Amino acid sequence: MKTEIVENGNQVVAKFIGRLDTPAAVQTAEDVKPLLEAANKEIILDCTELEYISSSGLRIFLSIRKEAAAHGSKVIVRNINADIRQVFMMTGFVSLFEIQ
Amino acid sequence: MIVAGLALEAISCTMYFTSRAAIRHEAQKRAETELRKAELEIELHTIELETAAKTLALIAERHVDCPDSIYMATDLAVRTMREHTSVAVAYVPDYFMEKGRYFEVCSSRITEDSVHTRQIGSDSHDYTEMEWFQNGFVHDSCWWCEPYMDDSGSEEPVVSCSYPVHNGKGEVVAVVCVDMALGYLQRKLPEYLKVYKNSFYSIRSSKGGDIVRAMDTVPGRKYNTFNEEIDATGWHIEIIIPEDEMFADLNRVGRIVGILMLIGLVLLALMLVHSSRTTQKLIESTARNQRMENELYVAGAIQTAMLPKVFPPFRDVLNVNVYGTVKPAKEVGGDLYDFYVRHDKLFFCIGDVSGKGVPASLVMAMTRSLFRSITSHDEDAASVMGKMNKAFVEQNTQNMFLTLFIGILDCRTGMLEYCNAGHNAPISIQQSAVSIQPLPVMANLPLGVEGEWVFQAQQMQLAYDDVLFLYTDGLTEAERSTHEQFGEERMMKELAISDYRLGSPRQIVERMQASVETFVDGAEQSDDLTMMAIRYQHPALIMRNDIEQIPTLAEWIDSIGVPEELSMPINLALEEIVTNVMLYAYPGKSGQVLVECNKAVSDQPSAIRLIFTITDSGIPFDPTKKEEVDTTLSAEERPIGGLGIHLVRQIMDEVSYERVEDKNVLTLVKNV
Repeated sequence: MKTEIVENGNQVVAKFIGRLDTPAAVQTAEDVKPLLEAANKEIILDCTELEYISSSGLRIFLSIRKEAAAHGSKVIVRNINADIRQVFMMTGFVSLFEIQ
Repeated sequence: MIVAGLALEAISCTMYFTSRAAIRHEAQKRAETELRKAELEIELHTIELETAAKTLALIAERHVDCPDSIYMATDLAVRTMREHTSVAVAYVPDYFMEKGRYFEVCSSRITEDSVHTRQIGSDSHDYTEMEWFQNGFVHDSCWWCEPYMDDSGSEEPVVSCSYPVHNGKGEVVAVVCVDMALGYLQRKLPEYLKVYKNSFYSIRSSKGGDIVRAMDTVPGRKYNTFNEEIDATGWHIEIIIPEDEMFADLNRVGRIVGILMLIGLVLLALMLVHSSRTTQKLIESTARNQRMENELYVAGAIQTAMLPKVFPPFRDVLNVNVYGTVKPAKEVGGDLYDFYVRHDKLFFCIGDVSGKGVPASLVMAMTRSLFRSITSHDEDAASVMGKMNKAFVEQNTQNMFLTLFIGILDCRTGMLEYCNAGHNAPISIQQSAVSIQPLPVMANLPLGVEGEWVFQAQQMQLAYDDVLFLYTDGLTEAERSTHEQFGEERMMKELAISDYRLGSPRQIVERMQASVETFVDGAEQSDDLTMMAIRYQHPALIMRNDIEQIPTLAEWIDSIGVPEELSMPINLALEEIVTNVMLYAYPGKSGQVLVECNKAVSDQPSAIRLIFTITDSGIPFDPTKKEEVDTTLSAEERPIGGLGIHLVRQIMDEVSYERVEDKNVLTLVKNV
């Protein structure tokens, strides 16, 4: 599991590559800290190469969403696969994020 | 016993003393009555004698100058009286010159008809010295003298009544004397005064002289005395009753009562002793029974301990799951099952010893150790069976026999080799064919019948998720109170349902057990009931409580071969559960989590169930009790945690938790 963060003007893009399972979530939580510092910008969670996400990963998504909301900015989840979309449906995350 | 004795004693004492008082009172009344009768008799007699004396005195006064006329008077007086007596008229000395100094005319009755009358006064019979004569001068009335010996008339002890005879000048010139023989009193009065057989009486004059002398009293003997004074004579009559005589009847009754009571007490004592001995025996036999029961209980525990208690996963073999139970009809039973793994092979057997109880249990124990020792170096089912048979026949002195099914499953290939010796054919549940039917078995003889019998083995290829259900006839022959038997049909139906619904050998066996118990409805179990289920399955996944092991879950799911579209959700659900176990089940120590998958197929309706079982031996925790998260909340309101179990519920069709012994068992079912 890899996390790449790229700042691009008013946007911060976090690209998740691989399986965001429980063991991976520990590292990922560290990796996304710059995102939380740039929470005044628009945050894009690029899930194009995210294969899998468990509740630990969802918790990271939720904490990012909370931080952004506190700064009045929004979080966009981009390119989630069918399985992850299903998980977003099941957890009600579809209504918390703008999904592109 | 002592209390009873004292109570009886108190009652009898009270009765005795009450009776004594009553008897004494009765005796007194009787004595008084008799004394009055005696008094009357004496009075009548004395009045008669006194009247005679007075009459004679009157006659004598008339003829005071004519001494000879007195002869006739005394003679007549004696004749008129009822009793033999003597009558005399004695004149003062020298009253009749011609008659000499002493003149006393006396008449005595000799016989009924003849009366002897004569003059008896003389120097040798000086009547003037006598009391009765002197009384005539002292008392101007009838007067009774003290008893004396009559030397002239009857020559017996007498008392005499005297009455004075006066001349014209009023001087006493003679004294009339009428005798009363004491013999009369002695003859006449016992009629009244003998109140008791040994009672006696006495009569004393007013001066204390013995008129009737009392018998001598015996020293030490107690006497009761009742007395009466006779007014006419001033005599005292006494009735003397020996106390023992008076209370003789009471004492006799008392003795009888006492003896009866003693007999009663002895009987009571004997009964008590007997009953205490019986009680002692009862206590002893109860203790003995208790000891035997305890020993049987211990034997039962030992026997149960002989059976495999630890069920898979085995260390090396992860693709068999076995579960078995024995429910003996008595404390110990003749049924057995056994299994163990060696060299990737599962060795198992199930058997039923003819008979029940201790003898059967010993055979069972022997069989189990034979099975273990022979299979330790022999992996050929028929050969194992043959050796066991031979050993059993050699040691079989009680003509017992044993039905036995032996199986050897190669866990790497799923090849089952088995040999049956007269036992019920196990039921084979083959998922792929959706078939439930008895395993084809040869009709070999049971063990212990023929030592040289050549057993034949059979083979069957098992596929993952196939189940073998083994049982003893205690299952199919379980009876309810109407003698209806559980039967094979019910068993097959139950297997079809439970295998599809539940899947794990433990759940299959437990459900069958519950079904039988419902069926028999409390009727007494008549035979040992043994069941064993073996599932040949996809190898289970074992993980340590280390988050880093989570990725192996995905590989394992891929190896099971679940439909591709379900792979990710199933992975997610299992990861959520497994993560939970890893993080919370073993606080501060290492532990394991086991994940198994069973596929159950049903053709009515056509469906496949994927049954996942997650087992850990950590602290009890039921994740299904966790509150449902509210997914409609906004991001600000949403708690960060609690998503895991929610996801599991969303993904899976059934989620159930069980605490089995020291294990948490979570079963997740996904209908495909």
